[in-house]
Amino acid sequence: MNKILLFLFLSFFMADLSSAQNQQIARQGQVSFFSYTSVENIEANNNQVLSIIDYSKSKIAVSMLMRAFVFKKDLMYEHFNESYIESDLYPKANFEGTIIDFDENLASQTKIIKGQLSIHGVTKDIEIKTNIQKNKGNYTLDGEFDVLVKDFKINIPPILASNIAKTIAIKFRFQYQPYEE
Amino acid sequence: MKKSENLFLLIAFLLIAICTYFYVFPLLKNSNEPLTKEVAELTIDANLLVKSFAIDEQKSNELYAGKIIEVTGTIKEITYYNNRTTIILNHKNRNTFGVICDLNHTEEKKSQFLKPNQKIRVKGICKGYLKDVILLNCSIEVLTNE
Repeated sequence: MNKILLFLFLSFFMADLSSAQNQQIARQGQVSFFSYTSVENIEANNNQVLSIIDYSKSKIAVSMLMRAFVFKKDLMYEHFNESYIESDLYPKANFEGTIIDFDENLASQTKIIKGQLSIHGVTKDIEIKTNIQKNKGNYTLDGEFDVLVKDFKINIPPILASNIAKTIAIKFRFQYQPYEE
Repeated sequence: MKKSENLFLLIAFLLIAICTYFYVFPLLKNSNEPLTKEVAELTIDANLLVKSFAIDEQKSNELYAGKIIEVTGTIKEITYYNNRTTIILNHKNRNTFGVICDLNHTEEKKSQFLKPNQKIRVKGICKGYLKDVILLNCSIEVLTNE
């Protein structure tokens, strides 16, 4: 009986250890978004995006604080957080996905990441083309994609509709490090 | 008659000036300026801050998020990803948690002389918690190691 317990305990412990070994973390990933219209260009950066990649399972998870986006003007920050994203209700944006046909040994590859993006309490399936680099065992992911404002139930008052693009371009770059527990 | 007209114009002008000062200037303001002159709402130890967020994130958000706070702690590392200088403060028990302090550009010169395990005080705007507590627009002050 005791042996079985010991075995179970050990196997759990080993499983836990191996999963941590196959993970890498980026705590200071960068996500930027751009809205270009003839009236106004809006740009915001978030340099504290958290991401964990599990390269043995080809899984990736991303989480960011909406209030950590930095704008050029305070008014943009206020509108973004209070009227559009409603950061008090939905403080984070999340992404969870799987890298399709991921080969963990290649130094450079371009793959599609399929997953769910949650912004403003709305979850949507999305596919993102991503460049994956491996340098000295550490991964770097970067890419660009577009989202539609209306997909995430973000209401923009008609008076400001000409200031904000219907399609927002999003850029990201994550530099991973080994995940030490 | 002429006098009252002038008076009216003067009042109108004053009103416009006051409105501009209070309503238009704030719209153009950019608060990515250093916080050196601002007074922090509270001072807290880095370990306590992380612990507080780890125990009850929602309550801690109400207490700290959006406020200017001062955090004392020891430096774990200094990073330079994406052209930003960032100081990460240690959490004494858990290696994976800490406080991420994104420095204001004007403070970057000071950070050259910092070393890991040095004790510092960081003033910044608390944004919330992911795996670490995040402070933006930080200014730093070196403390003597006790």
